[in-house]
Amino acid sequence: MRNWLRPALAGVAFAMLGVGAFLGLSWAPPDREMGDVQRIMYAHVPAVWMALLAVTLNFVSSIAYLFKNTWKMDALAEASAEVGVLFGAVGVSLGAIWARPTWGVWWTWDPRLTTAAIMLVSYAGYLALRRFVEDPERRAVWSAVVAIISYVDVPIIWYSVKWWKSLHQVQSSEKTVDPQMVFALRWNAFALLGFLIFFIWSRYRIALREREREVALPDVLPSGQAGRVETSGAVR
Amino acid sequence: MTSAWLLVLAQQASDVSSRVGSGRIQGGWEYVWVSYAITWGALILYTIFLWRRRPEATTGQPE
Amino acid sequence: MSSAPLVKAVRSGNFVARILRDAALILGKDLLLEWRTRTRLNALIFFSFATLLMFSFALGPDTRLLEQNAGGYYWLAILFSSVLALGESFRVERENASLDGLRLVPIDARSIYLGKAFGNALLLMLLGVLLLPVMVALYGVTLVMGFGRLLAVLVLGAMAISWPGTVHSAIASHARARDVLLPLLLFPLIVPALLAAVKATTLVLHGDPMLQLDSWFGLLIAFNLIYWGLGLALFPQVIEE
Repeated sequence: MRNWLRPALAGVAFAMLGVGAFLGLSWAPPDREMGDVQRIMYAHVPAVWMALLAVTLNFVSSIAYLFKNTWKMDALAEASAEVGVLFGAVGVSLGAIWARPTWGVWWTWDPRLTTAAIMLVSYAGYLALRRFVEDPERRAVWSAVVAIISYVDVPIIWYSVKWWKSLHQVQSSEKTVDPQMVFALRWNAFALLGFLIFFIWSRYRIALREREREVALPDVLPSGQAGRVETSGAVR
Repeated sequence: MTSAWLLVLAQQASDVSSRVGSGRIQGGWEYVWVSYAITWGALILYTIFLWRRRPEATTGQPE
Repeated sequence: MSSAPLVKAVRSGNFVARILRDAALILGKDLLLEWRTRTRLNALIFFSFATLLMFSFALGPDTRLLEQNAGGYYWLAILFSSVLALGESFRVERENASLDGLRLVPIDARSIYLGKAFGNALLLMLLGVLLLPVMVALYGVTLVMGFGRLLAVLVLGAMAISWPGTVHSAIASHARARDVLLPLLLFPLIVPALLAAVKATTLVLHGDPMLQLDSWFGLLIAFNLIYWGLGLALFPQVIEE
C-alpha cells in the first residue's frame, strides 16, 4: 500500500512547485522597494527553512542513535544531512544572487546568510567524514558526535556574526507585508516541504539498504570490495 | 555612548541606500530567472539522482 | 539520620578527584613525551613564526594595515598551527595502538579527554606566548590594555580550539584523509571563538573606547563551557569500541 505514497508525494510536490512558481513570478505583486528582484524570496527563504529543518532532523536522529544504536536512526541522519546540504546550497546561492542587485555586492556578511554558509561547510564536512570512515558502526557513532557538535554551534555562530558585524544591513523590513506575498511564500514553502519529505524518505531507504549490505555478511570486506570475498580476512 | 552608535548607524544606512538608489529597483529579471533555474535544476537533478540509486535498482551492484 | 547522602557526596567527590588525577597523569605522560622529543614542538614553533611572516609578505608593506589587523594574523597563525598540534595528539596512540592499552587500564575516558585537551590547549598557549614578541615586532603593535588581558584571551582562545578540536582529532585520526578532515571539521565549528578571540585581541592591542571587550570575553567563556561540556559527554563515545 505504501509503495504509491512516496511517488505520489513527489508528484504533488512538483505540481505545487509549478503553481508556486506562477504565484511567485507573476501573481504576487512586485515589492515597493526592490521591485521584481524580490521575487527571489519565494525560492530563497523556503530553501533555507528546509535546510534548517533537515539539519534539525539530523541532530535529533544523531542523538537518537547515540541513545539507541539502530541503523534506522543512522540512515535517517545520513539522509537528512545530505538533503540539508542540498537545500542549504540552493539557499545560500540564491541569497548571494539576491544580494547583488539589491545591495550591489555578492556577499554582505549578513548574519543569517553567513551562518547558513558556515553551516554548509560544517555539514559538507559531516558528509565527508561519513565517506572516509569504512566501519559502519564507528561511522555511525562518530558522525553522530560531529552532528551534535555542529548543530549546537549554529546559534552560537549566528550570535557571534551578529555581534561581529554589530550593524545590520538595511534589509527589506517586514512591517507592511502584502498578504499576497505571504500566501505565495507559504505556498512555496509547503511545496518545498513536500520535496524535503520526499527526498529524505527516498535517501533514507537508500542509506538503510546500504547499511544492510555492509553489515549483512561479516566475512565480506566492507563496501567497495564486496565483489572479492576473502576468506582469510576481515574479522571485525 | 548610544549617540555615537546612532551616528555610525545613520552613516552606514546612508552609505547603503546611496549605493542601491532610492525607491524601486528596476528590472533585474535575469537574477530572478537564474534563481528559479537553480532551484528547479537542483530539485530535478537530485530527484534523478535518487531515482538512479533507488534500492530496487541497485541489488547486486557493487558500491 | 541516614548517612547515605553523605557517603554519596564523598563518593562523588572522590570520583571527581579521581578523574582529575587521572587526567593529570595523562597530561603528564604527554608532556613528558613531548619534552623528550622536542622536534615536534620546535617544528610547531617555527611553523607558526613562518605563518606570521608569510602574512606580512602576502598583505603588503602598508604598516598601518598590518598594525590594524595584527590580531587576525596572530590568531590565524595559532589556528593553522593547532591543526598540526591536534593532528599529532592522537598520532602516537594510533601508531602504537596504545589507545587500546589506555582503554584497558581502568581510566575513565573523560580523564583521557581532559588530559589530552588540556595538553593541546597548553601547547597552543605556549605558541601564543612565543608568537607575541614576533607579532609586536612585525606589526608594530603595543599592548594598550596590558599583557594580563591578552593572556586571558590567549588562554580562553586556546581552550576554545582545544575542547572540540580534541574530539575531532580523535575521530579524524582513525579516518582516511585525516589531514584534510580535521581542518574541514574544525574550522567552521570554531568561527565564533575565532571572531571573539580576534576581536578581543584587537581591542587589547588598540584600546577599547566603547567597552566591547567584556562581550567578547563572555562569548569566549560561553563557547568554552559549552564545548567543554559537550566534549566531556561525547568523547567517551568516540573512543569506545
